[in-house]
Amino acid sequence: MNEFLTGNLQEFWELTGFANAQLGNFVMLAIGLFFIWLAIKKNFEPMLLVPIGFGMLIGNIPFNTGAGLEIGIYEEGSVLNILYNGVSAGWYPPLIFLGIGAMTDFSALIANPKLMLIGAAAQFGIFGAYMVALALGFAPDQAGAIAIIGGADGPTAIFLSSKLAPNLMGAIAVSAYSYMALVPVIQPPIMKLLTTKKERLIKMKPARAVSQNEKIIFPIVGMILTCFVVPSGIPLLGMLFFGNLLRECGVTTRLAKTASNALTDIVTILLGMTVGASTQASHFLTTQTIFIFFLGFMAFIIASASGVIFVKIFNLVLPKSKKINPLIGNAGVSAVPMSARISNNLGLQYDPSNYLLMHAMGPNVAGVIGSAVAAGVLLGFLA
Amino acid sequence: MKTKLLIIALALACACGVASAQSRKALRINEVMVVNDSTSIVDDYGQYSPWIELYNTNFAPLQISSIYLSSDAEAIQAAMADKKGKAPLNCSLYPVPLGDERTKIGKRQTVVFFADGKPNRGTFHTNFTLETGQDNWVAIFDADSTLIDCICVPASLPANASYAQIAIDENGDEVWEVRDGDERYITPGGENTIRDTNGKIQKFAEQDPHGFSMAAMAMCIVFSALLILCLAFMAISKIGAAFASHNKAKSHGKTIKEIADEGDAHDSGEVIAAISMALYQHLNAHDTESTILTINKVKRAYSPWSSKIYGMRHTPGK
Repeated sequence: MNEFLTGNLQEFWELTGFANAQLGNFVMLAIGLFFIWLAIKKNFEPMLLVPIGFGMLIGNIPFNTGAGLEIGIYEEGSVLNILYNGVSAGWYPPLIFLGIGAMTDFSALIANPKLMLIGAAAQFGIFGAYMVALALGFAPDQAGAIAIIGGADGPTAIFLSSKLAPNLMGAIAVSAYSYMALVPVIQPPIMKLLTTKKERLIKMKPARAVSQNEKIIFPIVGMILTCFVVPSGIPLLGMLFFGNLLRECGVTTRLAKTASNALTDIVTILLGMTVGASTQASHFLTTQTIFIFFLGFMAFIIASASGVIFVKIFNLVLPKSKKINPLIGNAGVSAVPMSARISNNLGLQYDPSNYLLMHAMGPNVAGVIGSAVAAGVLLGFLA
Repeated sequence: MKTKLLIIALALACACGVASAQSRKALRINEVMVVNDSTSIVDDYGQYSPWIELYNTNFAPLQISSIYLSSDAEAIQAAMADKKGKAPLNCSLYPVPLGDERTKIGKRQTVVFFADGKPNRGTFHTNFTLETGQDNWVAIFDADSTLIDCICVPASLPANASYAQIAIDENGDEVWEVRDGDERYITPGGENTIRDTNGKIQKFAEQDPHGFSMAAMAMCIVFSALLILCLAFMAISKIGAAFASHNKAKSHGKTIKEIADEGDAHDSGEVIAAISMALYQHLNAHDTESTILTINKVKRAYSPWSSKIYGMRHTPGK
């Protein structure tokens, strides 16, 4: 009897987290707690960092993997694995894009279509980071997956990395979302460094009013044109423009509301939590992760800088009355609407009557389209 | 309303039908071996039998139960001659049985049937065999006996060699070759083109080690995509503006030129903001009560558990 009890207790002990814990688990738990602290106390992208941070806690509770309990995120048939399918098979990101489309007002872009080019220029961050990643020894497909962090678009990064480098997806997703949260810290110094005071004071003309018909035509024409150029971007671009059509057509208000609120919230919760849980110590705590974070940082800097520099070059050919304030160049990285808000705040610092928000929203949403196109290009070339 | 629903339902049904037909049509005969002495695969009974490999060219799983396999040359040739591609009635066909999970072929995957004339040995054993020393026609038919794919394996095919499809030429015709197993591998149950490297990645790693070409190409594509969109919307906004000024001119009884001369009489953003704020103040400054009184009846449903009668102690009997 005594042997039976001790035997069972011994067996139970071997199943507990205490018996299976390793240093890596505690490091990852600390990182998860740090993310939660950042979200709650510093208000850095709480909608994303709370699920990711808590997911990290869930994913890094040690357990006996040999016991066949089917509880780990990488164990087929486990609940977490079923939820993780949206990430690994890449169907959460298009759903998020549906919501983004339903939330986004493309008026600023339609009113001033040339701002789309800023969104394209900022994508150089992706390909600049691609070159650096190759120099660091990553294979082309891995380099492409890492470089997409420069698009400043979490769902796009997850979508592409799930296709090109599934083993790096956790680190890429966490890196992308971390830097998106740090956009207010990363971008302003670059913007100040690359612009003169005179340029920061440029006042842009208010955008013209956009008719309802134009708003309806935009998602239809936008989807057809961009997807004809890059068919591999159909999952993201198709859903983005579909969501926008739901919003703008005026007869599917209920669907647009669901897509932009309930659906996006549900998918964000599942996406954030499962991405966090996928960052298990054994997969995450590697030198590759350090490189990925470094490359992500590089990508954000290059993307922000290339957007600002492009506006400066563009201004050389624009008439004086149509000059663009280069402070909106940073908004070409998608990170909607954070980077547009940074343009606005920085503009107000130098001229309290210079509201750049609506102007910056143009390149900002163009950045969403641009990063999805860039992801499609990388997928087409490397998949 | 009912008619509209009916039309939509019919359209959906047709679309589903077409989709289903298309997926079955993507099934191909991929590789055939007529004489399998001892060098190729054995079946689940340990026997060396002739085999036919089918390939699902779809990027989605394909259920092949209820399709037919046949080596009946006359029936196949008749189906080829038929306008609808239908096999004649009473011809010899082997039906792939229903209810076997293994008949679902994964995307871009293959399945091997043993042509041993012993269908009682399982799903993947046909009721016909392939004959040596003569041309062997092999075909697959859909459930409605429509021809999906067929091939004539030449009589000259040596023993232990397979006849495999290797490519599609520029005219859309299949290119087949004889594989003897030495330099050209026989690949039952696998793709005929053996890929020992990831071609695209390898190519980029070798020819673009620094990523300059990728950066240049990709940036050109991204710029082109957004430039096309930009130009399209410049044109659309011009057309829209022309329509707007036309409508404005019509409503004001003026010419388009006169309207253009007047210019845009837009208020500045500040003015619009001030008007909006004033309107907001006017409409929402005071809280207005709904003036509806809500009186809810408080229900206290009887229950013996809360009853005083049952809860109180009875006076002890004297």
